[in-house]
Amino acid sequence: MDDIIISDLNKKEALRYMGQADSDCDDRLSMIMEQCEKKLLSVIRPRYLYQCFDIKENDEGIHVENTSLTLVGNDIQRHLKGCTKAVLLCTTLSAEADRIIRVAGLKDMLEALALDCLASTAVEQLCDKAELKIKEDYPEYEMTWRYGIGYGDLPISLQKEFLNVLNAPKLIGLNVTESFILTPRKSVTAVIGLSKDKIEPAKRGCAVCTLKGTCAYRKKGSHCNV
Amino acid sequence: MFKELLKKEFVILDGGMGTMLQQAGLAMGEIPELLNITNPQLITDIHKKYIDAGSDIVYANTFGANRYKLEHCEKSVEEVIGAGIANAREACKDTKALVALDIGPIGQLLEPTGYLSFEEAYDIFKEQILAGSKADLIVFETMTDLMEVKAGVLAAKENSTLPIMCTMTFEENGRTFTGCSVSSMALTLEGLGVDAIGINCSLGPKELLPVVKELSQWTSLPIVVKPNAGLPDPVTNRYHVTPEEFAEYAKEMVAYGVKIMGGCCGTNPDFIRALSTMLSKEQYVERKKHIPAAVCSATNTVVINQPRIIGERINPTGKKLFKEALLNNDMDYILNQAIEQQNGGADILDVNVGLPGIDEKAMMIRAVKELQGVVDLPLQIDTTIPEVLEAALRVYNGKPIVNSVNGEEKSLNTVLPLVKKYGAAVVGLVLDENGISKSADERFEIAKKIMNRALEYGIRKEDIYIDCLTLTASAEQECVMETLKALKRVKEELGLKTVLGVSNISFGLPDRELINHNFLTMALTHGLDLPIINPNVASMTGAVRAYKLLTAIDKDSMEYIAAYNAAKAKKEAEEERKSGAKGADGKAENAARTDRTDLVQAVEAGLKSEAARMTKELLVTKDTMEIINEMLIPALDKTGEQFEKGKIFLPQLILSAQAAQAAFEVIKENMVKAGAGTKTVNKGSIVIATVKGDIHDIGKNIVKVLLENYGYNVIDLGKDVDYQVVVDNVIKYDAKLVGLSALMTTTLVSMEKTIELIKENHLDCKIMVGGAVLTPDFAKQIGADFYVKDAKESVDVAKKIIG
Repeated sequence: MDDIIISDLNKKEALRYMGQADSDCDDRLSMIMEQCEKKLLSVIRPRYLYQCFDIKENDEGIHVENTSLTLVGNDIQRHLKGCTKAVLLCTTLSAEADRIIRVAGLKDMLEALALDCLASTAVEQLCDKAELKIKEDYPEYEMTWRYGIGYGDLPISLQKEFLNVLNAPKLIGLNVTESFILTPRKSVTAVIGLSKDKIEPAKRGCAVCTLKGTCAYRKKGSHCNV
Repeated sequence: MFKELLKKEFVILDGGMGTMLQQAGLAMGEIPELLNITNPQLITDIHKKYIDAGSDIVYANTFGANRYKLEHCEKSVEEVIGAGIANAREACKDTKALVALDIGPIGQLLEPTGYLSFEEAYDIFKEQILAGSKADLIVFETMTDLMEVKAGVLAAKENSTLPIMCTMTFEENGRTFTGCSVSSMALTLEGLGVDAIGINCSLGPKELLPVVKELSQWTSLPIVVKPNAGLPDPVTNRYHVTPEEFAEYAKEMVAYGVKIMGGCCGTNPDFIRALSTMLSKEQYVERKKHIPAAVCSATNTVVINQPRIIGERINPTGKKLFKEALLNNDMDYILNQAIEQQNGGADILDVNVGLPGIDEKAMMIRAVKELQGVVDLPLQIDTTIPEVLEAALRVYNGKPIVNSVNGEEKSLNTVLPLVKKYGAAVVGLVLDENGISKSADERFEIAKKIMNRALEYGIRKEDIYIDCLTLTASAEQECVMETLKALKRVKEELGLKTVLGVSNISFGLPDRELINHNFLTMALTHGLDLPIINPNVASMTGAVRAYKLLTAIDKDSMEYIAAYNAAKAKKEAEEERKSGAKGADGKAENAARTDRTDLVQAVEAGLKSEAARMTKELLVTKDTMEIINEMLIPALDKTGEQFEKGKIFLPQLILSAQAAQAAFEVIKENMVKAGAGTKTVNKGSIVIATVKGDIHDIGKNIVKVLLENYGYNVIDLGKDVDYQVVVDNVIKYDAKLVGLSALMTTTLVSMEKTIELIKENHLDCKIMVGGAVLTPDFAKQIGADFYVKDAKESVDVAKKIIG
């Protein structure tokens, strides 16, 4: 697949992950963010992989045809309603991102936190760009938003199978631990539904969020803008 | 049999197995190795087709047949591999073809990126190797992590006598996914004594050509190449190179001395036939086999073709803070020493963690593992205990230096076999049963003896570095030139590389740096290759850089200019950052005066160097405890309170904590200098850990910084911590409080189990828990005493429990 190049990061989003109110970001923090952005961009090797499959509903859930994978749970069923195909997508920033975060943490926790949050932003940006490519490949289809493995009641234990279907360990070096953490850590796995019909805008927001009840933003009377 | 086969002009391997199985209808994600049992005929037929096409060796269908990948299926590793080998054997019947036990990556990343340990990886491979004992050779392929291959090779060497072939998978930039370079692979695996090495998968023969070329310069072993059928089409996933094109590109590789060839993804028997036809008309090309003296980590190769600096700082001798760090298991201290030396200009790092009263072996293993996770410099393992040495050599990812062997029989007999087995380079000290001789000639003789013995063990001459031993100038002034004389003879007459600990020369003299750096320059002109110095002393590193410039090693002074221009730029950036920080916070403008309010303000504003500087000044007039209790703690309390109220945010809280930390460091150093130790500021121990299975530790690390600032002795056990380890450390440090963190719903179970084990052991300690997925209710449910929602609350709990 063609390389995706990420040349600048969404620092505003990263600050949000850091628990920083954007309005209160001073020059010094801005400078730290810029330095960290530069550092991160110079070491990451963004990689991605996707493949499109026909999907079929069966007794267990939604079967991804010609593979051993069945997506289970009510949420994914709702998500893929009306879709005839699904794209399995995974992305990673590579192990080098993990390393510089680890190194930064030895000397400067703020730098580590900034790098960590910028990397989280970077992997999302990588997903956004990969989505554009998928869109190009399947222009005649409408796309759902990307649904993460482990989100809602789609079991996170599907990670291993999901990566195997895409042959991700071999093709982009993305693996999963026994407790289903993706390694390298700054990585994403997601399912995108494709449909020829118009897709109902998904319900997103606090009411349907899994963090309902524990979210730090809600506790402060705010929300995360997703 | 494999060795017999190597006498042929070329050895032909098979092509893709997965490709053939997918054509036969295997669904993606299914375990292909199960077909060994469910459809043996299919597998045997594929092998036969390859043998008919000309393969001398077929890889049994055992690539992913390991414990981890087979965990949810009903067949054991033994059954699946046993059947796989039997199928291949069946196909080879009445032919000369050999059967290889094929071993691919485990499917989980090893530490530090993943958290599979080296030891567990070894165990997984061992199981496969024992199950495949009926094969003719063992193949490790498609590997991307050198540490993983090393675990496999050691498992193979220690549990089998079969020949070993290793191929790794490189990208176009000549690196694997984990960053391993071609030279590092070659140096490390040849050192471990495998029989052939090479490259497979990822790219087609055309794209692999430069990688093969590079490999040919780094190994004297037979080279193996198994390319893909070009690059796959992004949408259809089909490979585009035809068998004829494949053979044509492969032909170009012959020039680089490739001996063993086959195909990987996308290739089928047609490719092997084309390859076989092409090779039947070619002749094997012998390479010139001079591999330079070099050591490496997985990602960085250091060629000893010019002076290279070995950093000496990771060594507790004469360093109180280092000793204390070892006693407290404070790995961050050691890692910081490593990073500072790397930034200072070190090429290689010496690692010595020997101290009476600690478990040196456990500490060495941990230090080596963690060091290679943060710095890419090759390491020099420095210990006098063979058991510690071997433990370090096992887990080292690359080709290290062993420090050291000497001319004593006992030393030669124990150290050299280890150097050979693990493929290291070795430092030879020119002393023996009679101690250190004063005469250069006698030292030269011992060097010669060490060399000859090492050669007998099969250690390459390029891997022997002789240390002619620096004696103190103040005590034995005449010996200084004897050392340099011996050094010159060793270098010129024996042709060996030389190493020398430099700093010892000035012991007992004033202005040691002056003597050290002059002696260093003298030694360099006498032929010193590896000075062991403190790279953070600018004049020492500078002497090496200047020497390289003046002897035209540093062509066009590039390195010199880069080093000093970069240093200048860095200084300017620092200043800019500082002034930015000042501008951002008006209060700091007034921070020049030294009084109570100013240190408080500096901490509140998060000004690190200001806080450190002011503390230094305050210590002249004020008592340590006064500074801590009346300035630092109140400042921290205030920022904590502001954070709680939402007036400041996490970044400012951390900045402030780090400013306080800088102040504490000054205080600590001051106390150590005064000979008081740092016990007086220690309020009590707190054990913290990210629970087993979880590797998210940034939150826990922030907690650590805050707690340390309040004077608690924080024992940080790191991430993915075993339940028992938590319990052991609570007992060892008599901790009254334990902090556990977990960030995944899946690892909350580990948190619960850790708490259970603490309670089962009736330990007199309270437990606080935190992490994104936790709730106060759940914390209560799993038996925690406190739920803390952020780092600040953990301090509140500590105050409550410990005071």
